[in-house]
Amino acid sequence: MIITDEQLDHVDAATFASATGWDPKPEGLCQGEVCVPAPGLRRDDGTVDIEAAAARLGMPVVRDDEHGLTAVGPGTITGRTLTTAAAPDPELIDRVGSSFRLSSLHGRKVLLHAWASY
Amino acid sequence: MTVALDVEPEHTYPWVDAASPTHPSLIDTRHVTGELFGFVNIPMAVWIDETGTIVRNAESATIERSPLRDMDIPDGLDERLTRMLTEVKAIPDDAAAYRAAIVDWARHGAESPYALTPDEVIERSRPRGDDEARAAACFELGQHLRDHGDADAAVAWWRQAHQLDPGNWTYKRQAWTLVTTPQDATENDLMQGPNDVYDGNWLDDVVASGGGENYAVRPKL
Repeated sequence: MIITDEQLDHVDAATFASATGWDPKPEGLCQGEVCVPAPGLRRDDGTVDIEAAAARLGMPVVRDDEHGLTAVGPGTITGRTLTTAAAPDPELIDRVGSSFRLSSLHGRKVLLHAWASY
Repeated sequence: MTVALDVEPEHTYPWVDAASPTHPSLIDTRHVTGELFGFVNIPMAVWIDETGTIVRNAESATIERSPLRDMDIPDGLDERLTRMLTEVKAIPDDAAAYRAAIVDWARHGAESPYALTPDEVIERSRPRGDDEARAAACFELGQHLRDHGDADAAVAWWRQAHQLDPGNWTYKRQAWTLVTTPQDATENDLMQGPNDVYDGNWLDDVVASGGGENYAVRPKL
């Protein structure tokens, strides 16, 4: 997740959830059926305390001071890439640049095959 | 569905257009599917059932034996190309078994012995510690800077990503090909040889990691 200095204190819960897969809910930070308690993480104005969330989930925070950017890496609390078997739902684009969500294939078996031009 | 982990969408177009896919054919310019699912090389795949549950974690996913495996390496080839082909031929071939497993799952769903439980899927997913997570953050910083017109600034972050997570071949292959492909080339350079920008290159990194036999995340079938 990339955050500019201007955005740093203004990341809302939906943006955080979409970028990290961890949804800030009243019961904590949740991914699928897994929830990590995180009291005080969600501010009164609906924004998320990024540093606190990252610390709770074992997410590294990498700074690029020259460009005013913060990168938040994936969580490490389970020591595995997957915390849950619930498939994440990243936003991807197709050949003409239209947005596509994996969740649009719900109800069908999906073989998600990764390839590249290199 | 197919997902191309390519920071430059147009690099995928010739392949996509040639294939004329009838399935969803997508592009992941940020390599976010690598981070989320655990793709560290290509080709790899995950299986997802009708409820949106992963039933098979990320693993090498070839379904046809490459003709390179059965090709005799011609005498007189460039020495580096000869060594590269030798390593390519050493990459384990699970194509027939993996293809059969896909067909079995398509027919039998949860009853297929190849469909894993959620606990098995999580347990088999790639280990991720601070170095691997930090590498993902560094790669994303580089991609962001490159996407905003500062390819030079991206290099330092991608170099860090390579150092932190040397087992992530998509980070490395993606970066190498962008600096070793000639400007007028119509396809990305697959040799990805020594260059002045990054410490590594395909052949030397494969050899350093134990050779072609350790290159793929083999499916446990």
